[in-house]
Amino acid sequence: MLVKDCMTRHPIMISPETLATEAQKIMGENDVRHLPVVGDGKKLLGLITRERLALKPDMMGSLNVWEITRYLSNLTVVKVMLPTAKVHTVDSERTVERAASIMSEYKVGCLPVVDDGVVVGIISEIDLLHSFQDMLGLPADGVRVTVRVPNVKGEFAKITSVVSHQEWGVMGIGSFPSPRHAGFYDVVLKIPNVHKEEVRAILSQTAGHEVVDVRDVV
Amino acid sequence: MTGKQKKSPVLKVEDLAVAYKVRGGEIEAVQRVSFEINRGETYGIVGESGCGKSTVAWAIVNFLGANGYVKRGSIKFQGQELVGKSGEELRRLRGDQIAMVYQDPMQALNPSMRLGDQMKEVLTVHRGMADDEAAQHCIQMLERVYMPDAANVMRRYPHQISGGQQQRVVIAMALLNNPALLVMDEPTTALDVTVEAAVLDLIAELSRDFDTAIMYITHNLGVIARVSNRVGVMYAGEMVERGTVAKIYKNPRHPYTQGLMRCVPKLGADKAGSILHPIRGRVPPPTHRPAGCVFGPRCDYIQDKCREERPLLRDLDGIMVRCHFAEEIIASEWTPSEELALPQIEAVSSDSETILELNDLKKYYEVQGSSFKDVIGLGEKRYVKAVENANFTVAKGKTLGVVGESGCGKSTLIKTIIGLEGSTSGKATFMGFDISGDISGRDEALIQELQMVFQNPDSTMNPSYTVGQQIGRPMLRFGTVPKNQVRGEVIKLLESMRLGENYYDRLPRQLSGGEKQRVGIARALASRPNLVLCDEPVSALDVSVQAAILNLLLEVQQEFNTTLVFIAHDLSVVRFFSDEVAVMYLGQIMEIGPADAIYAPPYHPYTEALLSAVPIPDPTIQQKHIRLEGSVPSAINPPSGCRFHTRCPRRKLLPHGGKICETELPNWQITGDGHRIFCHIPAETLQTFDPVITVESD
Repeated sequence: MLVKDCMTRHPIMISPETLATEAQKIMGENDVRHLPVVGDGKKLLGLITRERLALKPDMMGSLNVWEITRYLSNLTVVKVMLPTAKVHTVDSERTVERAASIMSEYKVGCLPVVDDGVVVGIISEIDLLHSFQDMLGLPADGVRVTVRVPNVKGEFAKITSVVSHQEWGVMGIGSFPSPRHAGFYDVVLKIPNVHKEEVRAILSQTAGHEVVDVRDVV
Repeated sequence: MTGKQKKSPVLKVEDLAVAYKVRGGEIEAVQRVSFEINRGETYGIVGESGCGKSTVAWAIVNFLGANGYVKRGSIKFQGQELVGKSGEELRRLRGDQIAMVYQDPMQALNPSMRLGDQMKEVLTVHRGMADDEAAQHCIQMLERVYMPDAANVMRRYPHQISGGQQQRVVIAMALLNNPALLVMDEPTTALDVTVEAAVLDLIAELSRDFDTAIMYITHNLGVIARVSNRVGVMYAGEMVERGTVAKIYKNPRHPYTQGLMRCVPKLGADKAGSILHPIRGRVPPPTHRPAGCVFGPRCDYIQDKCREERPLLRDLDGIMVRCHFAEEIIASEWTPSEELALPQIEAVSSDSETILELNDLKKYYEVQGSSFKDVIGLGEKRYVKAVENANFTVAKGKTLGVVGESGCGKSTLIKTIIGLEGSTSGKATFMGFDISGDISGRDEALIQELQMVFQNPDSTMNPSYTVGQQIGRPMLRFGTVPKNQVRGEVIKLLESMRLGENYYDRLPRQLSGGEKQRVGIARALASRPNLVLCDEPVSALDVSVQAAILNLLLEVQQEFNTTLVFIAHDLSVVRFFSDEVAVMYLGQIMEIGPADAIYAPPYHPYTEALLSAVPIPDPTIQQKHIRLEGSVPSAINPPSGCRFHTRCPRRKLLPHGGKICETELPNWQITGDGHRIFCHIPAETLQTFDPVITVESD
């Protein structure tokens, strides 16, 4: 799955002259947490997040109530946004996991998707969580089974041959190094239209494979 | 991608009212319109002309003109309010995120600029892209919209490509900046059915791939059923009903929507389903809207409450409807009201005499070359073969429907019959007289017997003559009626056209489109002709008016026992009142026969393609997906052999991939009962094709 498949296209974008108060309102009304700031031709200029709008008292010259009002009514997003140089972006042909790694490495909640300097979409934690659910086939009913296999070439093929021999379908699949068991991999499969016990019985027949978890997911 | 949480809509229109300032006040063209469009969704807006569909679109793109403004309500695009913003702010906000495609592609393209330059401008201006990079992008986008030979098209001028291709260029141009919202105002209305079908497929595909929200405006219910997910029905500036296409088409709740459904030809399984029931009256102008329900005066269910109180939009089983009595109205129990007497379709005895007979009629136009040789007359003469070997007969009192794409020679055929053009060779006889020559050689009595109804009533009526004068003129000219009785006779005709005596002194500009066409028909009938030729008499009219005119034509035909030759570009229109239908392609009649035989296998492959292209206003009907490739070849140099072979989707059924089609003319295959097919594929094979249209059983 690539970024272009799970990003949100046509995100809400604002121009640098937008007032900070307006930006806050747009975020609130549309329930979004990030607003790319774009110039002509959707060129990325910066990013507004909720944190950027949490203004610190020392930014203002005075704490006089009237001064604050005046300051806020003239404050445009260009003054508070995270400038492009500091915004982490991704291009639409990257993989989802690369986007996820950028986001976790820099601890950011979203990445504007930029092709040739033009914003084509935005990918947020929520989008990644959605694609994670999709990969494991969450919305549909089925049996979710986790099989622990040795980290040896050919072990995965054994599972697939059993699955194909049973003529089962697979709606979601994932594999990762077993937590706290070096030298093993956990393979998660989502199989529709089968019975839980049947899956457990058949998959644990293979020598060296252990069914660590099996459950109905609805 | 599943399970996306509900996002805020791309466009949200709430309680919108648009007013135009005019002399002595202002007119509220649009009132209380609310709807929203989500991302990747196609939202259809349907209604007759003058209902305010385009005004809504113009309000969104701020294109209302100097005297129009948004009076009330809000338009939110991507969560940001558009109403009340200054021009510069709007430009920035909308910038390149909203694009619009108009009805006539030729008017959206600059005729004096190469297509490539026009397209590149979008990128170089908006994005400051370098010229050659922009060109690359444009070519990619043209290929995306399936433009053949994209790189070459970039160098051409708009007039050098066909209408369908022009519309593709316009759509490609609109998509270059990857807009979040695409407003399409009747983008396929000016196109042929086969081209329309291809463009609609393209639109559906693009909205899926680019996640673009599309606002699709049209008067055609069939088109909406094909492209949109949800639909809003507009009437007299208000949205009277909105909901999902599946729900509204299955069970429309508002009487206006029900009426619209009844007055469009369905092309369903049986002939009875194609009888049209017009809506009486017409859309009130914005200055004369009734006080209560706007649809009241035309509604069959009107009650006192409707006259006094404006209904509000309310939710009824998932459909938003603006009617006081929507739950009491049951569409299936509707019967036509008595003022709208429907024509009875009687079978005319089949052995009536033949009135018109064509034998190998040809019409070629000479093309003047521009080389020196051509100028001095030594060059090889070239011809546009507009009509090739037309052979058919029409019996008295019957109707022949002629169907085909534009440029197929339908109009030339009619012009040759009526004598506006002389024929090149072949023979045409009308009531025993030879009519192969043009009108100058014809007897006046013969001219009187042949009359014509034109497509566009506006341009075929003298604007400074009153209706009475227009209709009376042929009577005086041919002396069919004594001078002192002309007025009475005209009024009689007007009455049979359901226009009263008070229309006698009106001028054409005081009439609506439908009324003008009635006058046009009355004028054609004034000399009591035996044969009336109708050149697309309803294609310029709204659906509700169209139904009324078609019914009227049928009625006068029975009253005066007139023979009709009726041209249409789409097969659904001619279905219910033609006795015979002829399908033309590139000057050649491809299939001719009794109406019922045309709509069921065996089909000519071209008829099959035409049938599958007609948009049907019923989402439950399954249509075969056949799309013709390429455009109609030039008539100057038509393909050898069968003229359809370059686009025929069925050719490969023949041995050697249909080699014979390229070299030899097919023979007429007679499949019985006067049904003839001009094709190499044996009738037995054609018979095995599945019907194009199948009704899904529940």
